[in-house]
Amino acid sequence: MEIAEQHAGEITVVEVTGRIDSNTAKAFGERLTGLIKDGRARLVVDLKQIIYISSAGFRALLLADKLADETKGTLALCGLSVEVQRLFDLGAFTDLFVIYPSRDESIAKLS
Amino acid sequence: MSSTTPAGKVSIAIGNTIGEMAKVVDLVDRFGAAHHIPQAVSNDLNLCLDELLNNTISYGYDDRDRHSIVVTLSLADGRLIAEIQDDGKPFDPRKATPVPKGVLQSRKIGGLGLHFVKTLMDEVGYVRAGRQNVVTIAKKLLKGTADGDC
Repeated sequence: MEIAEQHAGEITVVEVTGRIDSNTAKAFGERLTGLIKDGRARLVVDLKQIIYISSAGFRALLLADKLADETKGTLALCGLSVEVQRLFDLGAFTDLFVIYPSRDESIAKLS
Repeated sequence: MSSTTPAGKVSIAIGNTIGEMAKVVDLVDRFGAAHHIPQAVSNDLNLCLDELLNNTISYGYDDRDRHSIVVTLSLADGRLIAEIQDDGKPFDPRKATPVPKGVLQSRKIGGLGLHFVKTLMDEVGYVRAGRQNVVTIAKKLLKGTADGDC
């Protein structure tokens, strides 16, 4: 798994590539919570390049989302492939997260 | 360490740490490529193995000793099959609790991984053989999508 960050004003886009699984979920979660604790609580997590996300990855996302909420921030997700969307649907997560189709739309909504 | 038998079966023994699980991911990818298994099927299998192995490694042992977990991949009767053998506490993944519903902040995520396994795989089997858990998961392959018996 690789993580790249881009800043668009007050919004931080986190682009993840690879697998978010048991091995990588900890680093993924710590990156997100680290950003929020540093005051960058308006996050867009672009999942376009991920292969899949396991329950460990969902746990990390849920914790980051909760922390963003507590700090009056927003965590939005975008770029869900059909395969990744299926995992969100199976876990009944689709309505729990803020999800936009594209990165551009996420940035526009959070601006 | 992994080994391949003439029948196209491949096995790997890993230690009971999360870090060791990457070896299984690699094995599934190599097995999938060698047998022309669709990437989506290999990905589903890898995800399910991640859930099952994480469960065993995180909750299956009461001691801090090193244990060996053996994962075997094979193709038979048009199915991609993975068997996990471990000497952890008896645990039947078919009897996992359903995914709880609730709002984000109070949501418990326990059970989600096994929900993925039961939903994404076509078969989930379990036997307790002596001191070993033997979990078998299988995914049906469409005709002509893989080598071997498919």
